[in-house]
Amino acid sequence: MDARRTYYDVLGIERTASLPQVERAYRFCLEMYGDGALATYSLLEPGEQEEARARVREAYEVLRDPARRRAYDLSLATPLFRSMRDNGVAPAASYAAGAPGPAAVAAPTPVEEAPASPPAPFASGPVVLAEAVTGSALRRFREAKGVSLEEIAHKSKISSRYLRFIEDERFDMLPAPVYLRGFLQEYARAVGLEPRGTAEAYLSRVPPQP
Amino acid sequence: MTAAALSSPLPRSRREIWCVGGGKGGIGKSLLTAALGWQVARMGRRVVLVDVDLGGANLHTCLGVPPPTLTLGDFIQRRVERIEDVAVETHQAGLRLISGASDLGAANINYAQKTRILNRIRALDVDIVLIDLGAGTSFNILDFFLLADQAILTVVPEPTSIENGYRFIKSALFRRLRRAAKGAAVQDIVEQAFDQKNPLGIKNPLDLLGAVEKEDAGEADVLRREIGSFQPRFVVNQVRSPVDASVGHQLVLACARHLGVRATYAGYVDYDDAVWRCVRQRRLFSEVAPRCPAAQKVAQLARGLLDGDSLSLTW
Repeated sequence: MDARRTYYDVLGIERTASLPQVERAYRFCLEMYGDGALATYSLLEPGEQEEARARVREAYEVLRDPARRRAYDLSLATPLFRSMRDNGVAPAASYAAGAPGPAAVAAPTPVEEAPASPPAPFASGPVVLAEAVTGSALRRFREAKGVSLEEIAHKSKISSRYLRFIEDERFDMLPAPVYLRGFLQEYARAVGLEPRGTAEAYLSRVPPQP
Repeated sequence: MTAAALSSPLPRSRREIWCVGGGKGGIGKSLLTAALGWQVARMGRRVVLVDVDLGGANLHTCLGVPPPTLTLGDFIQRRVERIEDVAVETHQAGLRLISGASDLGAANINYAQKTRILNRIRALDVDIVLIDLGAGTSFNILDFFLLADQAILTVVPEPTSIENGYRFIKSALFRRLRRAAKGAAVQDIVEQAFDQKNPLGIKNPLDLLGAVEKEDAGEADVLRREIGSFQPRFVVNQVRSPVDASVGHQLVLACARHLGVRATYAGYVDYDDAVWRCVRQRRLFSEVAPRCPAAQKVAQLARGLLDGDSLSLTW
């Protein structure tokens, strides 16, 4: 996927869109990329249409969930997140003006495949960490699963730098708990841990901000 | 609602050329152009309709006027001195018609001649020049489309029409880029892009930019600006349902995303029995049945085009 395209671009909505607006945009985009849809059937190959649908679903899954959306928004607003463009202009204008090189949709990449299929190692469902949820415990669990930070970063759109801060317990570099909770949930989801409990357990160890 | 109530405030003296294209035949371009011209004239603008439909110039029939004896061809062939001499009056005050030349295609006019014709048309003492381009994607048609102030692209909500609409956009854009390309290597890339089965795998303007970027980043910037300044305005004709109407929004989004083209959605016109009933009487529906849905949508469309407004997606 073109890293400069945000989930908001994918659904063609403003950053300020409400949840009902996200829902309506989602349905509109699904229809637009549906099988035999008038506006796209002669423009895209069937495979490209399916990819576009997968991307729409991926965007929707994040933006409809307030916690995941908050974390994602922060990742867009933070300069540390080099992978995302801080895109303040209207979607259509940004595509036309900053046309993102070859086909925003054409070439399938492994990243685009990811959201469609559930991560294989966790087919048994999310688990709760047996030991105390520390940064190093998270790292051990992740490494045992064979998941790299970069993979999590790709999936969650959270910079691997922040993910590393989580594992290193660099509390001074991490955002406020309200945002960190979202990060932790994304991390947990990506490695196959139960998101909410894991996040709360980690947060309980974070010292209060000075 | 009367036409007068819809009109935008006068005066507005800047002369504009509007072109109505669409690629496919039989989607109501001529009728739409005639109704749009009539409506804009009703709104107090001085309008001249120009029919450059090579295959079948029939704007006069849409307007219910007899076939003019002098046409654009007479002006091109210099059988008449001034372009005003081939413009005929219609029933509607402020609306004149320059009929199409059946020999325009045969005349094989070059780009400079087209520019000259357009300049002469532009010099007419009118507010809006509205050109019916007819079907197809010949260079004559594309060049007029590219020289327009408002490039109106008509489609109907049917696969064939939409497909031709995209083809029209790509052809027009590649034509513009071919003219803008400077270096021989870049010109070659653009020329290859005309062929849908080109070995470079260029399928759309975004692919083209990618290929040019590798060759010459400076030229890629120029072409990117050219693409940015190309802003076709969709009109969806013969709309039968809200789903049909929303196709226009989908087209705009799809153009932005997959072609890198900044299109807008000017409006839509309902499928309406009143329209063909009027056609059979050789009368214009906007004139005979101004309250019918199609006529009202044409009025909205006219106002939007005059004010530069588009339909936008509101969630």
